[in-house]
Amino acid sequence: MPTIRSSSRTRCIALLGNPNTGKSTIFNRLTGLRQHTANYPGITVEKKMGAMTLGERQVDVLDLPGTYSLAATSPDERIVMDVLGGRLGHQRPDLLVCVVDATNIKRNLLLLSEAAELGIPVVIALNQWDAAKRNGLRINVDLLSERLGVPIVPTIARRGEGLPELKEAIEQVLAEPRTVPRIQWPPFVSEAQAVVQNGLAQCGVEITGPEALRMVFDSDSAHAARVGHPDKVPGILRAAREKIRANGLNPASAEAVLHYRHLEALLADVIHGNRVVARTRDSIDALLLNRFWGTLIFFGVMYVVFQSLYAWAGPVMDLINAMTTGVQEFVGPLLAGTPVIQSLVVDGIIAGVGGVLVFLPQILLLFLFIAVLEDTGYLARAAFLMDKLFGWCGLNGKSFVPLLSGYACAIPGVMAARSLEDPKARLTTILMTPFMSCSARLPVYVLLIGAFVEPAHGPYVAGWTLFLMHFVGAAVAMPLAWFMNRCILKIKTQPFILEMPDYRVPTLRNVFIRMWGRGREFVVRAGTVILAFSIIIWALLYFPRSESVAEETRDAFISTESANLPATEVATALDDPESALSVRLDHRIQGAYIEQSYLGQFGKAVQPIFDPAGFDWKITVGVLSSFPAREVIIATLGIIYNLGSDVDEGSDDLRSILANEKWQSGPRAGQPVYTLPVVFALMVFFALCMQCGATVAVIAKELNWSWAIGSFVVMTALAWVAAVMIYQIGSRL
Amino acid sequence: MKNLGEIQHNRPLKIVAIASDCVRAGRLASLGFLPGNRVRISRVAPLGDPISIEMDGQEISVRRAEASLVEVEEAN
Repeated sequence: MPTIRSSSRTRCIALLGNPNTGKSTIFNRLTGLRQHTANYPGITVEKKMGAMTLGERQVDVLDLPGTYSLAATSPDERIVMDVLGGRLGHQRPDLLVCVVDATNIKRNLLLLSEAAELGIPVVIALNQWDAAKRNGLRINVDLLSERLGVPIVPTIARRGEGLPELKEAIEQVLAEPRTVPRIQWPPFVSEAQAVVQNGLAQCGVEITGPEALRMVFDSDSAHAARVGHPDKVPGILRAAREKIRANGLNPASAEAVLHYRHLEALLADVIHGNRVVARTRDSIDALLLNRFWGTLIFFGVMYVVFQSLYAWAGPVMDLINAMTTGVQEFVGPLLAGTPVIQSLVVDGIIAGVGGVLVFLPQILLLFLFIAVLEDTGYLARAAFLMDKLFGWCGLNGKSFVPLLSGYACAIPGVMAARSLEDPKARLTTILMTPFMSCSARLPVYVLLIGAFVEPAHGPYVAGWTLFLMHFVGAAVAMPLAWFMNRCILKIKTQPFILEMPDYRVPTLRNVFIRMWGRGREFVVRAGTVILAFSIIIWALLYFPRSESVAEETRDAFISTESANLPATEVATALDDPESALSVRLDHRIQGAYIEQSYLGQFGKAVQPIFDPAGFDWKITVGVLSSFPAREVIIATLGIIYNLGSDVDEGSDDLRSILANEKWQSGPRAGQPVYTLPVVFALMVFFALCMQCGATVAVIAKELNWSWAIGSFVVMTALAWVAAVMIYQIGSRL
Repeated sequence: MKNLGEIQHNRPLKIVAIASDCVRAGRLASLGFLPGNRVRISRVAPLGDPISIEMDGQEISVRRAEASLVEVEEAN
């Protein structure tokens, strides 16, 4: 097929290869920081694009998902086939850079042999050249290049060796296209292909030869789903496969059998020496995958990862918070003339931007660890160790890191789920991560346990309660995942196939590119949504701000205080804005404003919904105001109980106010609001509810808005049901 | 003849057939699990599953459920 030779069009090259071949490293080498990611339309497979300069001109580079074959059984593989076929609204690549692991040439060339059907020009990068030499393999590159008819460049991508030559070869083949010879199919395969093409033509569907072949070989092909005609297609495919079966081959493995035969002929006398599993690697594996030591080391490594997110990120996060406060204190007085603008800028925008940036330390740290763990080869071992623990509910061994990160913060956890290739396991992992007890839930537990469980049952019970609260989310999430996988999700389960890569020292460059890319993506893509949430909630808490509220509150305050003190003393105290009385009045006014705000009114209106869980309107407003970020409840409760927003979970004032709070009216008038059933209902509500706008935004970016809203609704509903059950059962005991 | 999923020892084996024509069988075939090839279970995860299989100098881990699609016999 002739390629279009217009100089105005940007050429596009695509990187094709098996997983673990160093394909991404070559991509990073070719494009540097000139890369971005997006999702392919309609599916949540990551599309990695970049640009590189070749001589005078710029060339687009597309990093295709790593696959073992073109069988379109997983979304990743379908993408590869669709891109190569010029579907998906993407231009057909002008050239394929096929990245081949030099230590495992035959298996790696299977993919190329399949792709050769499409007739796209090819350059081969024979990567991990050093490892092949170390393993005792001698490869006759010239002979192989001659037989395949395309340039082959030995590369060591991690060190950048061979990259200039690779670029040269790309430039050369772009100018003079060269393709890999196609496999000579035995006649029965061509017959089967014709059966499919003719059968579909009768249904009015035109497909290409290579696509017809894919439908013959892949019993559950995505192409079959796409061509429609579910009444006719299975019959056509059965007839086509019968041709294969009649020749003594299993249709599922026929393609691999025939390609491997073809490759064996091509590779005759090319490779000398047998690849053996390297001695050092074997002895490291013996330790790291050992039943006892391997498990111990795994938990040690995970402890360090967790500790870094939970504790080490803390000082940087405090610094970001302090800087946010600093900016607020600096900007606030400048806008004192117009209180609305002042509050919007200080409490809405600056707080919102700070609320985005504060996640960065954890995200960067987690991706530092993931890049290092993945590049060293440990992540695959960790997945091997842990798979059985997660496999039963649709997750897999690689779910461990995202879920563990979720205990610090769901945001980096959800993003970390990208390391899962299996789309179903990835989806399940993303949806489970927000159930893990993140550090923002801790203040709520500490406040309530400290105020109600500890005084009544002592520190021992309190400690255990706090510990067990951390597992409420996981205990609900795992069976839910199992149920969802069994009954709801219609995505096919992918076989769990894990290659154990050789151990390598990670390169700074790769690690840095990963951290930078993820951090930037979070700020740009999720950050804007989080900021918008922050401003909306600010508006709901601020408006309508009628002056009369402040005046009425002030008058009422003065008249009650005058009962205890001489009126003149009250007046002098209030003239001094620093006096204790003034501060209490300020807090009272803040409380009155929040009660009058739209959110406050809404909270009072929907309190009946939360009544079965034992929540009064104040708790309801606290719960509602913490939907953008659950830790906000402490400050909101502080304001509602007239203590000002500057309280924390250890505040004795807040604890004693909560303990003395009584129902003002209704059937429970005069009884304490915070009984133990209410306290537990509230804690479990926080454990299960997705009160985190940032998580919703990140899920929307990683999957799509329907999943984000769906998981929000399900988690909120679950939280409500659990809270109601606990209160209703608890208060009857 | 046994399937690879039920093998407990680490002696060398020879693949006799891929027992199914489902998608997962096709995946295993494209990784090189083909009749005639020699394999060995090199490692078992602490909880008994998945297993790591050595074949042609490469190590691939699969769950026993998938390995059971591969029929093997003792190699000699």
